[in-house]
Amino acid sequence: MGKVLADVFETELIRLQCYEGLDENKSLYEWNYQKQLLKIQIDKKSGSTGQLETDLFSPDYLLERPLLKAIQADRKVVLLIDEVDKSDDEFEAFLFEVLSDFQVSVPELGTIRARHIPIVILTSNSERELSDGLKRRCVYLYLDFPGIEREIEIIRARVPEAGERLTAEIARAVNYIRQNPEIRKKPSISETLDWTRTLVSLNRDRLESSDVDHTLNFLLKSRADQRVFREKIGSDSLVKNC
Amino acid sequence: MNTIICHIPESLENNIIRFVYLLRVEGLRIGNSEVIDALQALQLVPLDEREKVKTSLKVTLIKKAADYGLFESTFDLFFTSPEIREGLRKLRQEKVEEQTKQLKEAGEVLSFRGEKMNLSEVEKTVYSYMPEKEKKRLMDFLEMNESRDTLQRDYRPFLESLVKGRLRFWHKQLHQEIEKDKVSPDLGDEDLNSIRDAAAGSGQGGSAILTEDMQHIARKDLPRATALIRKMARLLVTRISRRFRHSKRRRALDLRSTIRFSIQYGGVPFRLRYKSRRVKKPRLLLLCDVSGSMIRYAGFVLQFIYGLNTAVQRIESFVFSENLERVTPYFQQGQSFESTMAAVVKESDVWGGGTSLHKALHTLLMKYEDELTRNTIIIIVSDTRTIRHQEALIELQRPKGKVKEILWLNTLPLDEWDNYSTVTAFQKLANMFPCNTLADLERVMSRKLLAG
Repeated sequence: MGKVLADVFETELIRLQCYEGLDENKSLYEWNYQKQLLKIQIDKKSGSTGQLETDLFSPDYLLERPLLKAIQADRKVVLLIDEVDKSDDEFEAFLFEVLSDFQVSVPELGTIRARHIPIVILTSNSERELSDGLKRRCVYLYLDFPGIEREIEIIRARVPEAGERLTAEIARAVNYIRQNPEIRKKPSISETLDWTRTLVSLNRDRLESSDVDHTLNFLLKSRADQRVFREKIGSDSLVKNC
Repeated sequence: MNTIICHIPESLENNIIRFVYLLRVEGLRIGNSEVIDALQALQLVPLDEREKVKTSLKVTLIKKAADYGLFESTFDLFFTSPEIREGLRKLRQEKVEEQTKQLKEAGEVLSFRGEKMNLSEVEKTVYSYMPEKEKKRLMDFLEMNESRDTLQRDYRPFLESLVKGRLRFWHKQLHQEIEKDKVSPDLGDEDLNSIRDAAAGSGQGGSAILTEDMQHIARKDLPRATALIRKMARLLVTRISRRFRHSKRRRALDLRSTIRFSIQYGGVPFRLRYKSRRVKKPRLLLLCDVSGSMIRYAGFVLQFIYGLNTAVQRIESFVFSENLERVTPYFQQGQSFESTMAAVVKESDVWGGGTSLHKALHTLLMKYEDELTRNTIIIIVSDTRTIRHQEALIELQRPKGKVKEILWLNTLPLDEWDNYSTVTAFQKLANMFPCNTLADLERVMSRKLLAG
């Protein structure tokens, strides 16, 4: 979605991948400590220490991380903050300032305001509930699994080499598997695409139960889910229903 | 997104505010800034395109996928033709009149020696829903007592409590039917009142299951309820593991390591080394009441335990009724939930028995004392109804000082807590939370349990 938006607006996509332990240093800015130390060592040897203190905390020694980069960009960019649910609560609170006022505070330099307010997209896999404060600053869009027709369109667009019949059967099969409440990790769209590519590379133009058995691991990624599939759905029944 | 709203026709603005009010009454949390966002969004879409208006309102007002169902049904009922609105108004009016009539009748019929019984509105409503045969039986009973002239004066309260007991029984049986027909409280706006009634009658997608008493969840909704529980368990698991993992964050400078490391740079601390704080994971110990009255809840709660067990190693699970039984091994075999449950029920000696919490706690302390550490959180799932509760209180006091916390998930609805002395008694020793609906379970698991 971020890539498409960046294409539409003909601008740059800046991506920040969230993970546990992500903090301001890695997302906003960091002082280039090593460069600062080298500068001190050089100046010590050459004997010039006059402007040193001011110089060391100038933008030259600042390592821009994605958030600062997005705010300081010369044009409106798309900022993708990916999987924000993987970050910690403290980082979420820190995002408040960025997302409400589009400004950040660097103690040594003062407040830096955005030159152009970026288009910000936050994604979440709902591994945890996001705070009300963060949600209040966003528009919320829940993307459910696509319906059969929509998934056929997606497969056609991304794997055009797959035949019409195979495409339709795959879309129906994946939809059928997703309906089973016992499947814990329901196959995502990217897994549907992987499965389609696999079947295409095997030169298949329709879904056969033996192929389903052999390529199931492209679709279901846990032993428990594969067992549920074999016991409760079965490849013969899947092919028959698609 | 906080500029002043202008150019919105006043009627539309009013409508949106009333619509939001209705959603808030239904329990959705919508702040003023969301309303401002919604009104701003409406300036950008053509108002005659229903789907675009709906999507704009949905993405700006609703911030939780579980609330989509409620939003959709409320939107469809609120933004409808004047004819349908008029129909809904009439329907409510008729319903109100009918129920007033029924209440009046029940009040008059349920009397003893010419004097009306002291019954609440709910009790009178229950009477009006009872099958005719049962109504007649109750009336015959009253009549039979009426004709006995040897009765003492204080017989009346006794008789009244008998009638109330009967009505309570029927309330449980007819709960769903009564709730479906219930006239919602007056919001001071006839339109909103009638929309609420219509929404309650139709059921509201995902939210309805969440707020339904777990005991009453219909069989056809079980797979959805199961899926919801699994999702909750997954959320909890990720939170537990996230919260209590060793921190990789830079907490404090490790001076010793930094100096040692800087020797290679001639003593210049070129790379700083940091210490990270170790946080212990809590040990969860679950005690689940599987006595006769708790079976339906226990099914859901064990689903939840199953979900947790598949991802977290350190959960000790026990079931109890007349005694205690350790069920942890069943959950560790990697079987499906159905096979696990079948094995538990088949092998268990305590499934469906009476409740002796004191005995269960005694066994826990005798046999599994090692499990009770300063890092253990005990979670008891029970309706507090047990025999010899005084002894159970004494037994519960013993682990109280040893463990980190005792949480009690009470499956009795919150408004019934005052009716049971055991609830008040156990509340003194455990942090008790209502766990009557899936929404309760979600709330407890996402906030209270993890706050510790």
